[in-house]
Amino acid sequence: MLAKYVARRFLASLVVVLGVTLITLVLMDRTRGTYVPGIDLNPALRPEDIARLRADLGLDRPFYIWYLTWIWGVVHGDFGRSMIDGSTVMSHILDRLPNTLELTGTAILIGIVIAIPVGVIGALRHGSKADHTLTVVSVAGFAVPQFWMGLILILIFSVTLEQHGLPWLPSSGAYSAVNGGDFIDRVEHLILPATVLSFFYMSTWSRFIRSSMLEVLSQDYIRTARAKGMSERRVVYLHGLRNALIPLVTLIGLELPGLVSGGLVVEVVFGWQPARRPAVRRARSSDSIFMRTPQDLRFCGGPK
Amino acid sequence: MIGPSRVAELDMPGAAIEGASTRPAQSYWNESWERLRANRIGMAAGILILIFALIAILAPVFSAVLTHFQPQTIDLSQTFSPPGGKHLLGTDELGRDTLTRLIWGARVTLGVALLTVAVSLTVGTAVGMMAGYYGGWLDDLLMRLVDTVLAIPAIFLFILMSILFRPTPVSLALIIASVGWGQVARLVRGEVLSVKQRDFILATRSIGARHLRLMLRHLLPNVLPVLIVAASLGVGQIILIEAALDFLGLGIQPPTPSWGNQLTNAESYFFHSIWLVNFPGLLIFVTVLASNVFGNAIRDAFDPRLK
Repeated sequence: MLAKYVARRFLASLVVVLGVTLITLVLMDRTRGTYVPGIDLNPALRPEDIARLRADLGLDRPFYIWYLTWIWGVVHGDFGRSMIDGSTVMSHILDRLPNTLELTGTAILIGIVIAIPVGVIGALRHGSKADHTLTVVSVAGFAVPQFWMGLILILIFSVTLEQHGLPWLPSSGAYSAVNGGDFIDRVEHLILPATVLSFFYMSTWSRFIRSSMLEVLSQDYIRTARAKGMSERRVVYLHGLRNALIPLVTLIGLELPGLVSGGLVVEVVFGWQPARRPAVRRARSSDSIFMRTPQDLRFCGGPK
Repeated sequence: MIGPSRVAELDMPGAAIEGASTRPAQSYWNESWERLRANRIGMAAGILILIFALIAILAPVFSAVLTHFQPQTIDLSQTFSPPGGKHLLGTDELGRDTLTRLIWGARVTLGVALLTVAVSLTVGTAVGMMAGYYGGWLDDLLMRLVDTVLAIPAIFLFILMSILFRPTPVSLALIIASVGWGQVARLVRGEVLSVKQRDFILATRSIGARHLRLMLRHLLPNVLPVLIVAASLGVGQIILIEAALDFLGLGIQPPTPSWGNQLTNAESYFFHSIWLVNFPGLLIFVTVLASNVFGNAIRDAFDPRLK
């Protein structure tokens, strides 16, 4: 039974994976164009040179060959090379992935750690002042544009504090370029971007835990637990919270792909990567081989 | 729809429920409207959005009466003037009036959001209804397509497509909707699957109604509440997505003003000209907040189960 179900889901996800690569590569194919915009206009290049360059890069091959070659490469662990400097796509991903994971991982973790008590308090004191305040904060966290919040935090905690001669937080980068990179330095850089990102996660999940907890607390077995004289603390944490958290696991599972791409805007605002917006920049320069992989990687991170 | 039958059920002989039948029968829509109207915060949020929409529609009037500037008029002698005086909310790096650009930006931002919702709802409803109604291989095919679209990270699709199609308000709305329809389709399909089992569908079919009539006249009205809720909760998220794309330089291109792209360059000037960041950011925040609050009010009014 279970084996059959797993097999079915696996087949379905295989179809989805192929669909994803196909759609992506069709779009890529539309953008790959001349590889360097204006290469045809360069007087130093003869037409046969241009043709040779294009042939070297595989730009003259029809789409389906391109697609099949790429799939073949991926199956063998080769994600391709940059058309601009010949570096492997994998090396670029591995360059940036640790920084990205550091930020999103921290944010998701902080988000969960704060969301659980916030949601529980909201549910236990349902309708109280504390509940209303926490609700307002969560609703705000859902509506605030991340880039704006980032800029405001930079203005307060980096610019204004520094102007007043107070200790201030760094505004960009994952670590200091000079004498940086130790633990304290990284944490200092992490505070502001992680605050912005975790605020969003906290808002979403705390609302969810609140309603999940409210529902659980109205169940019969909670009344039974109370009726047999169990202490309120044990009722809430042993029977209530444990059951209320089960759906949260699903929700966090769905958020796993966000580990790779969820923090893009925040990364841009805080200059988190050594080279700003690599995917965007590459796309602008039609380096199409490169574009494919971050998303495929993210896809592997969490099939929905 | 629900009202009369419920009253009829309660109106049975028996002392305990004597008073139950005195409540007048009301249609589902009337009941929902009453519930919505009772929600004061929700109504306030709705009215705020209406005001913003009005400002967007009447942008030429407002900028003529309030600011006397055109959104794209450059005045290099007036760069970075702070709020107050001739420029109520200051000017940007090219001396353009911030308030004027915000007023005209409302057109773009709200217009894109509206169009995106309209397109995602139409396509999503059509696909979800066909998948749910016909079932079988068509269902499998359409739902795998939805899975595929939703499996590709949205931001990646947005980046690619905004390079492929130069983002104008219309194309940007289509780009965002190209992801949004998937969620609507899933939602509608689920709803259709449950409504399809009800007796009135069987009754309608037995008197010879055709597929199209069944779907449009009988299924669609029953899916409508879910659609209204999805639409009203989606607007805020779409405004945020659009603003983020504008901010990244992948959305509406200058000199056309939108709330998001006014922040793109502000990033480099906000140390000395904070108003360039504050006003557009605050507007996006307030608008999204209002649409979320209004969306929640609508959900509570139309679908009390979900509260």
